[in-house]
Amino acid sequence: MSFLRTARRHLHRNPLRATKCREFPSSSKNASTIADARNGTSSVNPDEIAHFSRLSQLWWDERGEFGLLHKMNPVRMEFVRQKVLEMQREDGFEAVNEARPLEGLDVLDVGCGGGLLCESLTRLGGNTLGIDASGSNIAIASLHAAADPALSSQSPQKRSGTLSYQHTSAEDLLATRGPKSFDVVCSMEVIEHVDNPRTFLSNCAQLVKPGGHLFLSTIARTPLSYFLTIFAAEQALRLVTPGTHTWSKYINPEEMTDFFLQSDSIPATSEDAARQVSSRPWISRLYGGIPSRTEAEVRGMIYLPWKGEWTLVPRGAPGASVWAEACNYVFWVRRPFE
Amino acid sequence: MLSANKHALRLARHARNVGHTSSRAASTVVPQETDVVIVGGGPAGLALASALSSQPILRNTLKVSLVEASDLDKVRGWAPPSGTYSNRVSSITNASQAFLGEIGAWAHVEEGRTCSMEEIQVWDGLSDARVTFSMQDVLASHLPGMESLPQMARLTENLNLQRALLRHLDSTSAVELFDKVKVQSIQREEREGGGWPLVHLSDGRVLRARLLVGADGFNSPVRSYAGIQSYGWAYDTTAIVATMFHHPRTSFQTPNTTAYQRFLPTGPIAFLPLSPTASSLVWSTKPHLAKALLSSEPGVLASMINAAFRLPEVSLRYLHNLIVDSANTGSPLDAQQLREEISWRERSHSIDSRSAYSLAADTTGVPPVDADALPPLVTDIQPGSAASFPLRFNHADEYIGDGAGARTVLVGDAAHTIHPLAGQGLNMGLGDVEALFHCIQKAVHTGGDIGSRTALLPYARERYFENHIIMAACDKLHKLYSFTSEPIVWARSVGVEVLNELDSVKAALMLNAGSQSSRRGPSRTQLGASFAADGVESLARTMSGVRTLTEGVGNMVGAGVQSILKGLSNSQRP
Ligand SMILES: Cc1cc2nc3c(=O)[nH]c(=O)nc-3n(C[C@H](O)[C@H](O)[C@H](O)COP(=O)(O)OP(=O)(O)OC[C@H]3O[C@@H](n4cnc5c(N)ncnc54)[C@H](O)[C@@H]3O)c2cc1C
Repeated sequence: MSFLRTARRHLHRNPLRATKCREFPSSSKNASTIADARNGTSSVNPDEIAHFSRLSQLWWDERGEFGLLHKMNPVRMEFVRQKVLEMQREDGFEAVNEARPLEGLDVLDVGCGGGLLCESLTRLGGNTLGIDASGSNIAIASLHAAADPALSSQSPQKRSGTLSYQHTSAEDLLATRGPKSFDVVCSMEVIEHVDNPRTFLSNCAQLVKPGGHLFLSTIARTPLSYFLTIFAAEQALRLVTPGTHTWSKYINPEEMTDFFLQSDSIPATSEDAARQVSSRPWISRLYGGIPSRTEAEVRGMIYLPWKGEWTLVPRGAPGASVWAEACNYVFWVRRPFE
Repeated sequence: MLSANKHALRLARHARNVGHTSSRAASTVVPQETDVVIVGGGPAGLALASALSSQPILRNTLKVSLVEASDLDKVRGWAPPSGTYSNRVSSITNASQAFLGEIGAWAHVEEGRTCSMEEIQVWDGLSDARVTFSMQDVLASHLPGMESLPQMARLTENLNLQRALLRHLDSTSAVELFDKVKVQSIQREEREGGGWPLVHLSDGRVLRARLLVGADGFNSPVRSYAGIQSYGWAYDTTAIVATMFHHPRTSFQTPNTTAYQRFLPTGPIAFLPLSPTASSLVWSTKPHLAKALLSSEPGVLASMINAAFRLPEVSLRYLHNLIVDSANTGSPLDAQQLREEISWRERSHSIDSRSAYSLAADTTGVPPVDADALPPLVTDIQPGSAASFPLRFNHADEYIGDGAGARTVLVGDAAHTIHPLAGQGLNMGLGDVEALFHCIQKAVHTGGDIGSRTALLPYARERYFENHIIMAACDKLHKLYSFTSEPIVWARSVGVEVLNELDSVKAALMLNAGSQSSRRGPSRTQLGASFAADGVESLARTMSGVRTLTEGVGNMVGAGVQSILKGLSNSQRP
């Protein structure tokens, strides 16, 4: 009986409810506010603040809609932390910074939503930029960060990196900032919502500096994910508006790996062409279907309803790859040095 | 990007100015930004501060402040004359001690003032059914080859512990200590989308807290601020504490490392060893009896303690009445009169004057055979050490604040106040601190916001139920033993005696007797499970000393006793 209850709770708190961007139709009013703000001419009125903070309550209400995303955050961050430290050690760093492994690094979060991941990246020392296609998300994220002295650059006892937000897309950012701009690029729970995942992946990848890291988290296209995210959450239980997810858009870990195995996935820059830097694939080869630990890694994330926590499937755990492919997973890949 | 930043700032500035003209206009004080504000410098608060300062990463990441109303210099400078002891003593379990060791605080405890507790003897005041726990039982029956201290717990003066924690804090100087300063009020910052707690101190300072920790004892101001309700009642019971002097045990006896506890209908009396010639008293009894005993001359208290461990219950009741009545008539009983009265009662019960049960027993030479069954005879009470505390049961509904009370967390007595019969209050507080410390560590590690519900939830999950079990068991035990009706006394005696025979049960009791808790020992759950299989439902999952005998009793004598108990506890709940 209790098993049933647990199972039900699991469905009830389906991870996939916690998706981004869809929840906030950005009204023209907000969009214009952000546009004004970008021109530096914003005059914010209290109505707008109230409006943002109502939305902000959705993003930041840890018991509400996004509760599961809040709970997932430490697990994603743990993975980011582990991989960055691991590679720093691999590169022969004398003293890695355990307290703030991202210190001094330029970090980008694509599809930052309310800023959940950005704040953590900044606390770990990253000079972080969060971008989102929704103007109101950007306002919400900015408003939330402003309450935290550790994140505002004015803080007298600064222990974190810097944090800023921008209302833009990966494509536009690539156009304005140019490729190879960030040491770490993250895009969590976003790719399953974009229309052209190849282009999206390519844009994100181009923004990564040589030797830098790309982190993605998403949902695999498996019978289990269909059952949990579409059949149960949308159709049977109506937890999420039907149509929120499109199963066919889900991407499997092998497809991610394949993308980075091909040398033509990521276009070479004109300078690269001029310098005749060959565009090497990011993953050189597979070993029994699995990339080398220093090139790319896939780790499953599972929600343990009885603990109320997400957990990262341990590397090399029995059946780790089965779990990883089952539903939610994080993917890491490193851009080769030139 | 710059402009977006500017936008955020403007929003923020605006948010700060929205709608607080009245409340904050008067105070021009700029709040001090603080990551962790700990209210309360008792054992729990000091232990948390100590733990947070023990870790370089936390030290470099978090700004921690502790606020305590009293003068901490008095604790720092505590230097009792040798041979005397503070009357507040706690049994620090091995799990608690291990935690204090890990954070580097135990090294500052003056170990010479502490005493290892190697055995516990518990018996019923009416039936004399007795249980004995010692580490030998555990080592022999359950964990052969386990290399461990034979001690079950270490009796330590609270001040010795608090001083150690302060010394540890002073050595790291990573925590800002505000003492002789009270938390006057706590307000929620007015900010759209959820403000942080603003802690107003009596010296005019204001601390803005990312995380506000209530380690502020039973009347927790943090708990009130967080709007957390609590559930509880006052027991009609007072605990008398005192430091007792006695002769050393002879070389024929086991040394003074056994704790004794006798359950009387008025409440349990406990004898906790501190040194070969000194021990600490915790005697829970009715308030009017406590009052009469404390207002009598010290010799009366000493003789009554000796009698309380030895005389049959009827005589004790008689003596209590005598003391109360003579105090009421204005001619209180003196020590000499009481001794005569006691020896008369001994003769009427035909207690041999050479038996250990006689107050006149000779404490030199070859001791009587039954001497190890009883604590040494008290000769004196340390002057000024006798005091009393009202006892209560209280459990907060939540350990972490929510909504308007967000960014708050409770530890120690602020979260739970318990009957001292199992000596677990302080250990529960240290267990809380350890769990919270790990949560904070974990959140910092992954760049989390340590004030967020997400970061704190594992703390509540880990501690709430665990504490609840201990509390419920102590409460039931208190009620079970204060019952004098025949079937319950019978059940009690059967229960205790049966338990004494059940080695595995005893071993599990022992494992939880503080030697190993779920915090470290692997075996609690396993043993817990095998219990259930034996039909002794979740017996003594947790407590030290006697633990949850009630459940076992309930199972053994059937539902009858349990339903009486249930009725009993329900009727006491307001
Ligand atoms: C008779 C007796 C015997 C006991 N025996 C044992 C035992 O054997 N083993 C055991 O484990 N436990 C025992 N306990 C329980 C133990 O003493 C308590 O659990 C423990 O002291 C609680 O510690 P704490 O730090 O949570 O709270 P407290 O010790 O109550 O500390 C709270 C602190 O907060 C401060 N404070 C409160 N309000 C404010 C304010 N507004 N501003 C600033 N500061 C404030 C107070 O000054 C105080 O210092 C016993 C208790 C009693 C009564």
